[in-house]
Amino acid sequence: MKKTRKLISILLVLTMLFSLAGCGAQSAADSMEETTDSAAGTTAAADETTSGTAADSGTQEDGAAESGAAEPVELDTSERVDLVFYVVGDAPADEELVENAVNEILLEKVNATIDMQFSTWTDFQQKYSLELTSGNADLIYIANWLNYGQLAQSGAFEELDTLLDTVAPELKAIVGESNLNMCSVGGKVYAIPCTWPEYVCNGVKYREDLRVKYDLPVPDSIENMEAYLLGIQENDPSQGLLTVTTEESQGFFTGFDAAWIFNYKYPWVNPNGLPYGLAANYDTPSEVYDYWYSDDFVEDMKVMKRWADYGFWSKSALSDTNNSESYKNGLCVAEIAGQNPNKQITAINDFKNDGHDDWESVYIAYGETTGVIFPGHATQNGTAIVRGCKNPERAIKVLELLMTDQELNNLIQAGIRGVHYDLDDQGVYVDLNDPSSPKFAYEGFNTWALRNGDYKIPQESDIILNEMFDKYEELGNKTKFPNVNIYNGFSENYEAYAAERTAVSNVIKQYLAPLQAGLVDDVDAAVEEFRQKMKDAGIDVCREGYKEQWIAYCEEYGYK
Amino acid sequence: MKVRKGTATIVFEIITYFLLAFGAIVCVLPFIIILSGSFTDNTTILTQGYSILPRNFTFAAYKTIFYAPKDILQAYKMTVFYTVVGTTLGLLMITLTGYVISRKEFKYRNQVSFLIYFTSIFGGGMIPWYLMYANVLNMKGSTFAIWFPALMSPFLVILMRTFIVGSVPDAITESAKIDGAGHFTIFAKIVMPVLGPGLATVGLFLALGYWNDWYRSSMFSTSSKTWELQFYLYDLLNATTALKQMSQSSSISTAQLPTESVKLAMAVVATGPVLLFYPFVQKYFVSGITVGAVKG
Repeated sequence: MKKTRKLISILLVLTMLFSLAGCGAQSAADSMEETTDSAAGTTAAADETTSGTAADSGTQEDGAAESGAAEPVELDTSERVDLVFYVVGDAPADEELVENAVNEILLEKVNATIDMQFSTWTDFQQKYSLELTSGNADLIYIANWLNYGQLAQSGAFEELDTLLDTVAPELKAIVGESNLNMCSVGGKVYAIPCTWPEYVCNGVKYREDLRVKYDLPVPDSIENMEAYLLGIQENDPSQGLLTVTTEESQGFFTGFDAAWIFNYKYPWVNPNGLPYGLAANYDTPSEVYDYWYSDDFVEDMKVMKRWADYGFWSKSALSDTNNSESYKNGLCVAEIAGQNPNKQITAINDFKNDGHDDWESVYIAYGETTGVIFPGHATQNGTAIVRGCKNPERAIKVLELLMTDQELNNLIQAGIRGVHYDLDDQGVYVDLNDPSSPKFAYEGFNTWALRNGDYKIPQESDIILNEMFDKYEELGNKTKFPNVNIYNGFSENYEAYAAERTAVSNVIKQYLAPLQAGLVDDVDAAVEEFRQKMKDAGIDVCREGYKEQWIAYCEEYGYK
Repeated sequence: MKVRKGTATIVFEIITYFLLAFGAIVCVLPFIIILSGSFTDNTTILTQGYSILPRNFTFAAYKTIFYAPKDILQAYKMTVFYTVVGTTLGLLMITLTGYVISRKEFKYRNQVSFLIYFTSIFGGGMIPWYLMYANVLNMKGSTFAIWFPALMSPFLVILMRTFIVGSVPDAITESAKIDGAGHFTIFAKIVMPVLGPGLATVGLFLALGYWNDWYRSSMFSTSSKTWELQFYLYDLLNATTALKQMSQSSSISTAQLPTESVKLAMAVVATGPVLLFYPFVQKYFVSGITVGAVKG
């Protein structure tokens, strides 16, 4: 009796220990809901399970690399391979139809098929990490906003350097060395970016028709924006001016949307500077300086206070939810946060579709004033092969075909011609889908990473977009790093100061947001309080950790 | 003859009714606003906000939903299917388990109960949970992944066990045993007939659980044809927000996104059946919960 009791108590203690370990795992899962980066840890765990196969193939590759470097080899396609291609977002209604059409060609060419799998938009970051952990996918969509850098660093993807040389030299050629370099982490390439350069430079869109009507200055600077808004307020007091909230400003840069306007003033390396109130100019990215504790910051906050007192935005702006349709419906006359050329296109179309033919939207990128303009980073849209993939050679061959074969590329990006789309006389995309329930919309598979600049079927909107891009490219060429996106290749690892970071985030919401919304009585006092609270929250620790990583990054890629 | 109420009683009643009315309003008002919003013109919501009575009354939102009703009807069908089958299976397993661990002659009942209760405090966490279903049991993409995780809940097993202990005295089962009844006969002929309120309570819990679930579809579904209704609606909302955010940094086509009034109409469509179903089971629900209140 005593023996069994002892045995049971030992067993109990053991289970307890196990379950405590379980608790640890759970907290990791919890934190992952916030950010995907702890997936780094979990994928590392997954690596252990797959390391057997991965290590094997690794040594084989190394052997191949030593003996005769990277000679293109003929791929053995005698055995059929079924690949899973994981992308974020929702599946189109005609998934199967297009998939079958793609597979028909793929089977013929490389004896392989792909099965598209979709994360849906619900908890997609979490599910993306789980997909990497479980290792069911072969090809996977990557992006900087899905933490590509950190995931690559922790070994979630296969190295592609050798594969590119041996199996897919054509792919390597069209993507280009410099693009691949931007996708490399620790000197190794883990992802293939798309080959359609895109300018997502933030800026301001405003109502040109109203500006002309009241003869106001073009809002291409802070002062002119103020004059523009004041002018409209004077002429038509009932007109809403800005619908700014906190929603476009979540993170560690700004607390309130109106503060985006200061991008007109500073030639920063990234819109809104660096996180934690740091900043660096585009020309000297590694020279990090301080913004929140500078006199400029106090000046800027006084501007915000003035704007708030003019009544440019509502007194409840801090608790309002973002109404993205207010510009479309004429409830505001300018949008200054989170805008980009594509949103301008949307606005033009909205005005046209809603019968507001007399309304005209014009877009000014901040960079047109500051001279700092750059395209999206290569890691904005890319495709990687998941570590542990059983047939990496075939996977990259399929990827090569999807990107370099015009027929396949058009098929996977736009669907079946005659069913989902058609081309008009100029070769412009004509949507054949029923707009209320599209079967396969443009880029219906969400494979933004497979865009090939040469084969991309132009949409009507692309014409205006390309005009804008041409203008930006010209401006971008005049910068010190011509058309290089410096900031977005960087990914921060904040494990060491996660606690301080959370505290800082709270101070931003609690103190910076009202300050930037001008909802304080005394700006100087409020700034002082904000700075003090930041110190208490541990801003210095965050800044130090961030600076160190950022400077190391700049050095690695030669941004000096 | 009427009993005259004292002033204190009257004051007390006034306060009680006032509080109750207040509580009822707090509960009902949001739903009324949803309902009226779903009948309001979308631009009116955007320009003037929500109201208790619909302004610019219109069926437009419902027309949009039921214009292409295939998807939403499919989701409805799947949810009903998941709920009916899941509740039936769950009730079967929970009553059987509850009966077994309520029998004193079952030697290892404490150990078995412990294994069940233990999981209500300690779990493996989300990642092992996911890997278990996706990689070990290979349930990803199958309907089992929707039912399986919710078939047994420690709380409901406790509830059922307590209920069986409370409503079937040992003497009865003992006498049945003496008369030659086996466990199945005892369970089917003696225990089951008195389990009415218990079955209703546990069944309602299970059914509500299945009806309201979206997470398992989110995790394990590989085709939108198998989505639960709640997930179908939730994902529509998420797609809107995600696409808005995405379009901030990249060019993607933001196709047709649901408007405010359509979202509200969807909420009405999704909650409707439960509201109709609830009053019928409610009386059992209360008695069932009180039984479960004494755990021992």
